[in-house]
Amino acid sequence: MKRSLVLTVGLLAAASVLAGPPAPKKEGIEGKDYKWNAQEGEKIEALKLKGDKKRGEEAYEICGACHLPSGAGRPDGTFPQLAGQHTTVLIKQMADIRAGLRDNPTMYPFAATLTDPQELADVSAYIEGLCIPVEHGKYDGKDAAIKVAQGKELYEKQCKECHKPNGEGDKEKFYPVIAGQHYKYLLRQMTEIRDGHRRNANPDMVKVIKPYTDDQLVAISAYQSSLKMPGSMCKPKAGKK
Amino acid sequence: MKLKLTLALAAAVAAGSALAADGAKLYLEKTCIACHGKEGKKPLMADYPKVAGQNAAYMEKQMLDIKSGARANGNSAAMKGVMAIVSDAEIKAIAEYLSKVKP
Repeated sequence: MKRSLVLTVGLLAAASVLAGPPAPKKEGIEGKDYKWNAQEGEKIEALKLKGDKKRGEEAYEICGACHLPSGAGRPDGTFPQLAGQHTTVLIKQMADIRAGLRDNPTMYPFAATLTDPQELADVSAYIEGLCIPVEHGKYDGKDAAIKVAQGKELYEKQCKECHKPNGEGDKEKFYPVIAGQHYKYLLRQMTEIRDGHRRNANPDMVKVIKPYTDDQLVAISAYQSSLKMPGSMCKPKAGKK
Repeated sequence: MKLKLTLALAAAVAAGSALAADGAKLYLEKTCIACHGKEGKKPLMADYPKVAGQNAAYMEKQMLDIKSGARANGNSAAMKGVMAIVSDAEIKAIAEYLSKVKP
């Protein structure tokens, strides 16, 4: 019985290799041996390399089709805002998607066609250097003021320690910039992290976010999407008619 | 009467070309180009289809089915992620546009 199970699993694994894309699947937060941000594979190589912004700009051209040339993503949350994100975060997320640790069928083929760790480092350096667009998706319910206030209270209690007062995150620790991110994207990611669907999540964050209700996540996202990082935001367009 | 008919025809033709122009714009805006390449001729992956010159009705049905989840085989998962931002009318316009591109 056990043997036939092993055989079946083996055959399934072989079949998935033959199928090419969609993405491979690596054990993540659902497994008991999961170690967040394990320092292995091309991620460490890319992190050690110096990214070349000029080459990165060329490589970014393909990314811009979805994430826009400005890196602003889309206010509807389909594609995240990338501009100004830490290189460490970008490299980790792309490497995780490539390795099958973060499930994203739409992004996977693009991550897969990046040629090597150097290109990963280049494109990340370019994106990090972009200013964060001021206009982005926010919570627009009638109770926005209340939601933002509720979210602020929760954020300051439990999120601020890692994600910092203005949503700067922490480059060294792989914590993302969340200032300027779209409300709907933030809400989707937090919900997925809480519910165990984002398999490359940090277990420390899962512990914190687990007890939150949907309503509380809405409030936190509403507040987060109102954050601004001094010095990193794009200048408002002058003389806009 | 004749004038009215001519006018109506002209309006219909204008509407048709407006639809095609919208389709071309939508093809970029809705990020189709990222995977299917310029004018639907240069797919990103070898197992993604060239869509230039494909039958409009066929493309419309596939897009609607991928959006609704009725079609979930092959690489549909990659496309489903973005279909939420494309309305049924926009699907029609994109299909019309692509069907008229010479492969």
